Amino acid sequence: MNELFRRLRYLLHRRRFDGELADDLAFHREMAARESGMPLGNALQLREQARDAWGWTWIDRFAQDLRYAARMLRKSPGFTLVAVLMLAIGIGVNVAAFGFFDLVFLRPLNVRDPATLLRFHRRAPRNYAFALPYPEMAFFREHSRTLSAVLALNTGKLAVEGEEKQIDANFVTANFFSELGATPRLGRLLDPARDAAPDAAPVVVLDQGFWQRHFGADPLVAGRTIRLNGKPATVIGVAGGEFSGLSLNQPALWAPLTQQPYFATGSRLLADFADNSVRMWGRLQPGLAPQAAEEELRSLAAELRKQHPAEVWEKESLPSDPAGYAKSAMIGNRSGTGSESQNELYPVFAMVASLGLLILAVACGNLGSLLLARGVAREREIAIRIAVGAGKSRLIRQLFTESLLLALLGSLAGLAVGWAVLRSLMVLSDVPAWLNTAPDWRVALFALGAGCASAILFGLTPAMQAARQRHRATAVRQVLVGAQVAASCVLLIVAGLLGRALNHALSSNPGFAYQQVIAIDPGLAQHGYSPARAKVYMDTLQERLRALPGVESVAMALSAPLGRRSEIAGVDVDGRVFRVQINRVDPPFFQTMKVPLLRGRNLVRGETHATVVSESFARAAWPGEDPLGKKSLVGEDDTVVGVAGSARLVKLEDSDSVEVYLPITTADLPSSSVLVRAAGAPEDLVRPVASTAKAVDPNTFPEVQLMKSGFRQKLRSAESSALAVSALGFVADLLACLGIVGVVAYAVSQRTREIGIRMALGARPAHILAVVLRQFSGPVAAGLLAGVGGAAALSGLLRRQLYGVSNLDPAAYAGAIGVFALTVVGAALWPARRALRVDPMRALRHE
Amino acid sequence: MQTIPKTEMPSGALVLLILRVLRSGALHGYAIAQRIHVLSSEVLHVEEGSLYPALQKILLKGWVTADWGISETNRKVRFYRLTPAGRKQLEAERSEYDRVNEAIQSVLRTA
Repeated sequence: MNELFRRLRYLLHRRRFDGELADDLAFHREMAARESGMPLGNALQLREQARDAWGWTWIDRFAQDLRYAARMLRKSPGFTLVAVLMLAIGIGVNVAAFGFFDLVFLRPLNVRDPATLLRFHRRAPRNYAFALPYPEMAFFREHSRTLSAVLALNTGKLAVEGEEKQIDANFVTANFFSELGATPRLGRLLDPARDAAPDAAPVVVLDQGFWQRHFGADPLVAGRTIRLNGKPATVIGVAGGEFSGLSLNQPALWAPLTQQPYFATGSRLLADFADNSVRMWGRLQPGLAPQAAEEELRSLAAELRKQHPAEVWEKESLPSDPAGYAKSAMIGNRSGTGSESQNELYPVFAMVASLGLLILAVACGNLGSLLLARGVAREREIAIRIAVGAGKSRLIRQLFTESLLLALLGSLAGLAVGWAVLRSLMVLSDVPAWLNTAPDWRVALFALGAGCASAILFGLTPAMQAARQRHRATAVRQVLVGAQVAASCVLLIVAGLLGRALNHALSSNPGFAYQQVIAIDPGLAQHGYSPARAKVYMDTLQERLRALPGVESVAMALSAPLGRRSEIAGVDVDGRVFRVQINRVDPPFFQTMKVPLLRGRNLVRGETHATVVSESFARAAWPGEDPLGKKSLVGEDDTVVGVAGSARLVKLEDSDSVEVYLPITTADLPSSSVLVRAAGAPEDLVRPVASTAKAVDPNTFPEVQLMKSGFRQKLRSAESSALAVSALGFVADLLACLGIVGVVAYAVSQRTREIGIRMALGARPAHILAVVLRQFSGPVAAGLLAGVGGAAALSGLLRRQLYGVSNLDPAAYAGAIGVFALTVVGAALWPARRALRVDPMRALRHE
Repeated sequence: MQTIPKTEMPSGALVLLILRVLRSGALHGYAIAQRIHVLSSEVLHVEEGSLYPALQKILLKGWVTADWGISETNRKVRFYRLTPAGRKQLEAERSEYDRVNEAIQSVLRTA
C-alpha cells in the first residue's frame, strides 16, 4: 500500500477519519484537563491543522467556494443570464469554426479501420495528378504486396428517366463497400465475388437520398430494373445514409467500375493509359508503414514504365495521404504541371479562426466589464469578509471560482450554440448527410478550454481588483472598450470587403460576356471517342449549331469558362509564382466570349507553337516590355502572337489568376466543350441546342447549361460567406454597443453627485455630456485605429477571394467605420442622456 | 521554575521522537506526548498543534498504524503502533541524526 493509495483512502473515507481524529483530540484534551485543569487552543482549528497533513483541504475549500458561487449566481439571475449569453455567443462562434475544422481535418470518417486507409496520387518532377489511369491502378492492384486491398472510384454522369438533369454516378471497385465496412439499408451492396467480372450482370446500388427522392423510398426497390443511359441495370440495394463513399459529392448511385463501358457506350476507361480519372485507395497490410507502400508502388511504376514509357511518367512516385478524413475526400481529381497548388483551405481557416477569436474578444470584453461592475457592487460584502479574517488569496480564489463556474455554464451554452450554427450552415450548403456535425470530445474539450481561458483572462483581473478593494477600475475598463471597438471594427470591415466583392462581381465586367452563352459538354471522352471521331462529331455539331436561327457564333474550348474543368500551371517569374489558367481554344473563341484582342493577332486554325496571353500575364511576365514575339513561359516553345484582355474565366474570385490561350488540337477534342453565343435571349435556344447535340450521336448524353447559371453557382459560396461574416460583424457590433451602453451607464451612475454639483453651478447639457463621455473617446479612437490596422493586415489573407476588389478598398473601410461610428455614438449617447436628467437637489441629498 | 520551550521543535525531530517512543509498544496520542515530556526530563513539551499533524503525516507514510484500544481511564481510544516500515525509518533517521549531530558536535568542539 503506497502513500498515494493511502492518501486516496483518506479522501474517500474523509468523514470516518475526521471523526477518529476528533476523538483523539477530545481524549487528549480530557487528559490534559485532568492534569493541568485547563484546555488549550481552539479544538476545531487544531483538527483542521492536523487534517492539512492529508493534503485534501483544497477540495473542501473548492467545494465550499463552488457552493457559494452557485448561490451567488442564483441570487442575481439577470447578471448570470447576460454573462452566460455573452460567453455562449463568443464561445459558440468559435466552437462552430473549430467544429468544422475538426470535421474536415481531425475526425476520422465513418469507415472501417480508417487509420490504414491511404489515398494515392501520381507525382513526378514536372507533373502531378490526384487520379490514376485505370490500367495503372489495376497493375498496382495485381502486384502490390504491401496493400491488402486496392479501392478505386471513377465519377461519371448518367441519364435516367424521370430526372431532368443527368445524375452523378460513382463507378467503384466491387470491394469498395466491403472494405469500408458499409452495411446496406436495403438489399445488398456490391460483392467482389459476384460483381467484379466485366461480364457480370449490370447492377447498381442506390444512395439513400436518391432512393427517397426518385423512388419514394420504395421498400421493394431491390430487384427492380432501371434504365441508365438507356441501358437496363438491376438495383441490388440501397446504401445507408451514413456511408461516406470517400467522396464529398454524394452520388445518386454506385455501379461496378468494370461496367463503366457498358453504361458509357464506347468508353475506353478500362484500357486507356492516358486517362487520369480513377481515384485510388489502398488498405495497408497490418504492421506496415505508409512509406513501405509508397516505396513499393514507386518501383512498380518504374517497372510499368518499361512497358508504357509514354504514359507512365519519368521518375513517377505515388505519394500517399491518410484517407480516413474528410480532407482527403475533398481532393477530387486535380491534376496539373509543375508544383502542386497549395491547399487553399488553410488561409480560409486562418481567416475564420481569426474572426471567431475577435468575436470572443468582444464578448469577453463585455464579460470583463460586467464582472468589474459587479465587483464594485459587491464591495460591501468583500469588505465584511476581509474584516472577519478572509485572506486576500482566499478571496481571489473565491471570486475566481465564480468566474470558473460561469465559464462552465458558458461553455455548455456555447457548445449548444456552436452545434446549432454549424448544423444550420451544413444544411444551407447541402453537404452530404454522412458528415456528422454532432460535437465530439475534441469539440467539447475546445469549448471547455475556450470557456476557462476566457474566465481566467477576464475573471482574474476584476477578482484581484475587488479583493484589493481598489476603486480605480477605469483604466481596465477603458482598455476593454478599446479592445471591443478594435475587434468589432475588424469584423465590420471584413464584412464590408466581402459585400463589396460580391457587388463588384455582380455588377462589373469580368472581362468576358457570359450572359448569352450556352455551354455544351458532349462528354465524348467518356464514350471512348478517338480524336479523329471527335473531330467529325465536333465539325458536324458546330455546323448544325451555326445553322440554327438566333445563333451568333460557335466556338470550342477544352475548359469551358465557369465550368468544372481547369488546367493550371505554376509559373515562376523572378521568384513570384503565378498560377496560370491554361485554356485551349479555337479562333472564334475570343469573339464568342467577347474577350477583346488588344494587340497582335488571333490564333489561326491548325497552327502550333503560337499562343495568346492575357494582358495580366504579359504585365506579370514581361513588365514594361513588348510581349509580342516573346517565348511563352508555359508551353514548350510557343511564341506570343497576341495579347487578349484579362478575363478570369475560371477563377472569378482570384485577382491574381492570369490566362494563357493555346490553339486547340485534335487530341483535345474528345474532352472539349462547345460554346454557343445567342443573338437574343439564350433561354429560348437551350432546347434546340440540346436536341441538335443529341441528334449528332444518340449514344451520347450532352450536358447543356446556360453560362449564366454557372456564374450564379460560382457566386453562391461568395454570397454565403459575405452573409456569414456580415452576421458576425453585426453580432460583434451589437455586443460592443451593449458593452458601451453598460460602461457609460455605470459611469453616469457613479458620478451622479458630481454631475449634480456641476448642474447646480450652471453647466450646460453639452458640457455635462462631454464630461461623461470624455473618458471613452480616447479608447474608442485608439480601438478604431487598431481595428483598421488589424483589418488591413488580416484581409491580406482574403486578397484572392475578392473578385478583384482591393483588400484595402476605401469604400468598404469607410462604410464599415461609418456604420460602426453611428452605432457607437448611439450606444454612448443613449445612457448618457440620463446624466442630463439628473436632478441637482436629489443628487446632492443622495447618500 | 523551568522554561517550557515555546519555539517549535523541528518537525523532523518530532517524527523521530514519536517513532522512538513507539518502539517499545503501542501508545495513544496523549501518552506519546507524556512519554516524550517525561523522557526529556520535562524539557520537551509536545503541543497538540504539532503532535497530531505529525501523527497524521506518519500515518500517511505508513510508518505507524492506529488501532482501537481501551485507555487507562477506561475510554475507547486509538493506539498508534510502529509498523516494520516505521521501524526501518526509525533506524535510518536515527543514524542520520547521529551523523549530523556528531558533525555539529565536532564543529562546536574544535572551532
